[in-house]
Amino acid sequence: MAALPHAVDAETPLKPSELKVLRDQYEKEGEMVGVQTKFNYAWGLVKSNSRNDQQLGVQLLSEIFRLSPERRRECLYYLALGNYKLGNFGEARRYNDLLLEKEPANLQAADLRRLIDDKVATEGLKGVAIISGVAIAAGVIGGILFRGKRR
Amino acid sequence: MDDSDLHNAFHDEGPGGEDTILSPRGIEAFTRKVTTTASHLAGHASNPNDNHYRNAMTQVHKSMRRPGMQRSMFSMAKTTPTDLVRSKFSTSEIQSRALSYLSDDMLKNIPEDDNSYSLFQGFSASFPELTDEGKKHRRRVSRGRKMLEESPSAPESPQHLHKLKKERSSLMHELEMLGIRKNMASSEIREIDNKIANLGGMRRIILERLAGLEQEEALLEHDIVDMEGRIDDAQVLVDEAESIAAATPIRTDEDDLVTDQDAHEFMSQSVYEQLPSASSTPSKPRRHKTVRRKSMPILHEHFDPGFNIREIKAHQDNITAMDFDVPFGTMITSAMDDTVKVWDLNAGRCIGMLEGHTASVRALQVEDNLLVTGSMDATIRLWDLSKAHYDPQGSQFGREDEEDDGMAFENADDQPVDPPEGSMDECPLFTLESHVDEITALHFRGDVLVSGSADKTLRHWDLQKGRCVQTLDVMWAAAQASVSLDTGEGSWRQTNRPASRSADFIGSVQVFESALACGTADGMVRLWDLRSGQVHRSLVGHTGPVTCLQFDDAHLVTGSLDRSIRIWDLRTGSIFDAYAYDNPVTSMSFDSRRIVSAAGEDVVKVYDKMESRQWDCGAGITEAEENRTPAIVDHVRVKEGYLVEGRQDGIVGVWAC
Repeated sequence: MAALPHAVDAETPLKPSELKVLRDQYEKEGEMVGVQTKFNYAWGLVKSNSRNDQQLGVQLLSEIFRLSPERRRECLYYLALGNYKLGNFGEARRYNDLLLEKEPANLQAADLRRLIDDKVATEGLKGVAIISGVAIAAGVIGGILFRGKRR
Repeated sequence: MDDSDLHNAFHDEGPGGEDTILSPRGIEAFTRKVTTTASHLAGHASNPNDNHYRNAMTQVHKSMRRPGMQRSMFSMAKTTPTDLVRSKFSTSEIQSRALSYLSDDMLKNIPEDDNSYSLFQGFSASFPELTDEGKKHRRRVSRGRKMLEESPSAPESPQHLHKLKKERSSLMHELEMLGIRKNMASSEIREIDNKIANLGGMRRIILERLAGLEQEEALLEHDIVDMEGRIDDAQVLVDEAESIAAATPIRTDEDDLVTDQDAHEFMSQSVYEQLPSASSTPSKPRRHKTVRRKSMPILHEHFDPGFNIREIKAHQDNITAMDFDVPFGTMITSAMDDTVKVWDLNAGRCIGMLEGHTASVRALQVEDNLLVTGSMDATIRLWDLSKAHYDPQGSQFGREDEEDDGMAFENADDQPVDPPEGSMDECPLFTLESHVDEITALHFRGDVLVSGSADKTLRHWDLQKGRCVQTLDVMWAAAQASVSLDTGEGSWRQTNRPASRSADFIGSVQVFESALACGTADGMVRLWDLRSGQVHRSLVGHTGPVTCLQFDDAHLVTGSLDRSIRIWDLRTGSIFDAYAYDNPVTSMSFDSRRIVSAAGEDVVKVYDKMESRQWDCGAGITEAEENRTPAIVDHVRVKEGYLVEGRQDGIVGVWAC
């Protein structure tokens, strides 16, 4: 079994009842919550389709990163994946690149990098399309106005 | 890999690249506007946001540089507003980003990964367990049965082989999961251990704070007592002045002679009455004591059992007797060097020396401020410790560096300060001199004092009147018992152990109201009724001289040179429990929880009644590692978990147990 989940794994949400089990466990342990329990809940949240859940999941992951230095390396990947799912590609890339720097042979991280690149490319193109669309529209209007003025 | 290089390059260049479609200036202006907007939205989070923004801009740049490389892997299920816009304009986004933001410092500090399983593996191993535990278990069982059932049906078919392989792989998977869960459990235990260590550290810190507070408390209480004493004195003076003022006006000059005579008589009467009043002094200091006991020291209860609170080099010679009133209170020690010293256990300092006995003190007891010492010179002396001149702050010793010394031990240990001369001059109350041989045991409670002597008698004293009420002859009682009962039970029996061990004829006594228990060299424990002066019960069992005894409302505990400790049931007179050590027991003391004994070792033997557990406490444990051999412990006293032991080299150790 792979030590790290594939990106696809993050795209399959849990059932609400399953997520509830994880949340109950997390809340039951209160302040002295263990790393694994925290992660279980965080991962369940990241897998969710709700954006708020995902954000909370990423927050919990960053807490794990802060509090458990021995888990930091693998947390980089989870954080990257979580941020990728949130669409925060800048953060996702930041974490993922750091992980790849430490583990160049990490297949999952290499996959994730490719995914991020693709996502950024398509989204960026859309952005370009929007901006250029606006520019063209402005140009057209300006042209019309200009022409009108000249007339 | 060159992606990241490009990314970095652009990161450095910022939005000022020349070869973009949009004009760099326009983007810069946009940057500024957007950044200020974001700072308005979430002031504190602006710094990380800059970063996001830069990253986002870099992405835009990159996408513009490589327009042909895009590939769509996922269909966009949701509408995806760009990262850039979201990170700048949505308050909740900015908040959540700020919460989950990790600084570069933290990112730099990533230790090597030495976990036996990843968190994700832990997740996949524990998740099914959490959700459908019961189902899974049942399935496993039923599958096992199915295997048994189906295997004979078609053993040669390829499907069967395939199925078996599938089964094997699923079993392997389960085994793997179990391994991971095992690892998870052990690492969770490690985690808890770490937490315990952290909490232990916190506990230590708070314990130190508590020690400091108790120190302050003790000093403050001393000041209060001091102040009350002064108030009392002032009150007396005021009263006197008033009475004189009231008496003088009616006096004429002729009366003066008579008045003088009257006064003389009055004075002499007061002197005459001083003895009884002196013997009742316990009542006066007791009032002082109640003031002092406004706060109970509880520090030792929080120490770990076996913690060395203090070690005092009390004497140069064998400790012969010792006692203390309350934990962190006053301790009295006496040694072969014929000295009796009074100690402040809180500060670990000698308050003073009690002068008077001409031979070493073999028995002593302190209660409140009343101290009774019985000596080899056959006398018993009573002392009032409240009359001692002592300043616990130690300023009279010229040592001003006490404030920051929370426990105030080390200094006292390093350089024992001689107690101030004459600090105990006013302490002696009176002397009881009826015994004709050395005092080996004594005990008092309230106004009743009982002493046991090598002259083979016990004496019963009334402290109120300061005289002997009755004398109990142990030999006579033993003879009586043997005649009347004719069972040999109560008679004096010579133990088969050599008497050369310098066993005291009367090893120990304790009195409560009219009940008296006394342990003697014949190994018998006799219970007397002081009203009749008769022995009403004899406890037979010890085969060596009884050296120590103590009783509470239910049990009587005795220690003997036959190496055993025996616990007797006071109601039935039968043995309740007993245990033995390797060497003769020389001293024993118990409190609500433990029985501590000195049994010829360099450690104190402790029996925990609650846990029925034997353990050792003392210098022999820690110092064995340092190749030092502390002296044998001769005397022990315990009160409320506060243990004091006196050794043959004159050192007194104070322990929590």
